[in-house]
Amino acid sequence: MSDIYIICVEDEPQVLDVIIRDLAVFEEIFPIELAHSADEARELIKEIKQEGHKIGLALCDHIMPGDKGIDLMIEMQKDPFTEKTRKVLVTGQAGLEDTIEAVNNAKLNRYIAKPWNPRELVEVVKEELTQYVIQEEKELLRFTSLLDQEKIQEAIRTKGYV
Amino acid sequence: MSERKKPSKEQRPNVIGASARPMYDKSTFVSTIKDEIPNSLLLKSLKKDYKEGEVMLREKEINDKLYIILEGYVAQVKQDEDSGTQIGLHGPGDFIGLLSFQTGEPVFTTAKASTHVSGLCFDHHSFEVFMNEYPQISKILQGLIFSNLADRYRKVVMLHVEVANLSRQLEEERNHLKQTIKELERTRNALISQEKMATLGELTAGLAHEINNPASALLRSVEYLSENLPAMAENASALPDTGLVRFFFETGFKREFADTTVQRQRMKELNASYPELSRSMLRTMAEMEPGVFEKLTSFIGSSKNQPLLQLLIDAYQSGVFLNSIKLSTARIEYLVKSLKSYSRQGGKDPEVSDVRQGIMETLQIIGNRLKDIKVETEMEEACPVNCFVGELNQVWTNIIINACDAMDDKGKLVVSCKPDKESSRVIITIADTGPGVPDKIKQKIFDSSFTTKTAGGDFGLGIGLAITKNVIEKHHGTIEVKDHPQTGALFIITLPLAS
Repeated sequence: MSDIYIICVEDEPQVLDVIIRDLAVFEEIFPIELAHSADEARELIKEIKQEGHKIGLALCDHIMPGDKGIDLMIEMQKDPFTEKTRKVLVTGQAGLEDTIEAVNNAKLNRYIAKPWNPRELVEVVKEELTQYVIQEEKELLRFTSLLDQEKIQEAIRTKGYV
Repeated sequence: MSERKKPSKEQRPNVIGASARPMYDKSTFVSTIKDEIPNSLLLKSLKKDYKEGEVMLREKEINDKLYIILEGYVAQVKQDEDSGTQIGLHGPGDFIGLLSFQTGEPVFTTAKASTHVSGLCFDHHSFEVFMNEYPQISKILQGLIFSNLADRYRKVVMLHVEVANLSRQLEEERNHLKQTIKELERTRNALISQEKMATLGELTAGLAHEINNPASALLRSVEYLSENLPAMAENASALPDTGLVRFFFETGFKREFADTTVQRQRMKELNASYPELSRSMLRTMAEMEPGVFEKLTSFIGSSKNQPLLQLLIDAYQSGVFLNSIKLSTARIEYLVKSLKSYSRQGGKDPEVSDVRQGIMETLQIIGNRLKDIKVETEMEEACPVNCFVGELNQVWTNIIINACDAMDDKGKLVVSCKPDKESSRVIITIADTGPGVPDKIKQKIFDSSFTTKTAGGDFGLGIGLAITKNVIEKHHGTIEVKDHPQTGALFIITLPLAS
């Protein structure tokens, strides 16, 4: 069975450390992978694709050396493999223009400002992953323990299969 | 004013006595005398002619002649320090030398024939004789003299009034100018502070990012440490060797971040060997050197030892987080310190400071703009200058941010700073790899309101470089822009080296 990955792209090691720690609860089902730059993220995405897995969620910093977070997200939006991936910007600073571009061209789903509140971060990730699995997965029951139980049960009822 | 100016219609009203009443009508008087001349030996002997430009009376000299003009015009000139001011023009029927002739005082104003002049020239004796011989004409003459004096008096009064009026006008004008200058100053200050606010906005945005990252790491690390530590304290006693906790804690504290691809590979290998372990445990283990990991292996595999394995991993993680707290705090502290020193508003007096420090602080503060820019610095020797640190930092910021804009935030920035002992100056060069500054605007870029950024752009008003030049000049420095030998623009600044 293929796994649904969460990828975190962030150039600051210390920030990456705490993000993973905050999201540890999801690793029971959703393995987390890291990248320090857009380039590393591209490699990572390629690898995950080759191994036959999927990417359910991308958490991305904006200001990084090399390509910016939003550039990466726009790229992901254009690639059929990552088009459906939920995209969340986690940033300390992105100008209005950048944000508008992200919403319009990268179909950005959420924006989280640094420093974040861990409960909010977990909540956002939970909601986004719930959206992802409802849209993309057939077998939903296994997610009820970790994700939004109500929405998943609702989806199971509407879809008419377990 | 030219003394030789030919009398014109406009100048006529200046003719003294022009307003004399009819009974002392000058033209009647002149024609009466002219009629009389052919019949009188006395008048014939008194008649004299003067060429244009000839001086009849000279200022400050003693005079014993009284002239009555019959034809032509005489200019009355008052000598200033280096030039003469014509203060009146006299025509037929007017008197020249009246005051000095009567009072014996030195001549007050020079009289010079403005055209060819013919007139009667009396001395005291001939004047006496004339009065006796022509009582009728003398009567008119006296009337004219009186009217002449009255005219002069009126003129003096009018002049006083005019001076008072002029002074009032001048005062008004002066107040108006004062007001205008004040308004200009206000506008200028408003523009400068607008520009400063734009720079500040740029800096704040950058700082938000620079500070939010370590702040996030700091906040989250503290939270995890407070969760981990009590549990570790409780479980540590179960370990055969409590030194292990310390060992893993210290290893975590010293951890260096590995390449994520290598890390991922290692994690996969570990996952294959220990499929029962959680991913977060595997991730932490993947970070460890083989020698460190070795010490964990004896705890893997038995469910009894599971809490102890978790304890050691937590100890390692705690070290990581504590180090993160240390790094983040240091970074925030450094940023705040730089900011403080960067924005230092010196007192009234300049202070001796190393230019290199200001440049380094500036590079630090606008670091978020430099993420994709390769920054090279060549600054080996100390460069002390007598300066207002905050103002010079504004200069470095303006030039470097301009360079970033020109390079579209991608490229190379080379900053050099070295003392030149020979000329006693510090030479600072800032080179970018942007498109450079076209020759025809090289001169203009330091003018206020010159900008290549389109209206409504996101930064500044285009007076940044004007302020820059201002500040440099205030520091007795020079600034110029040249083409970089390879590519881009090269700003060269020199400042006097402090002894």
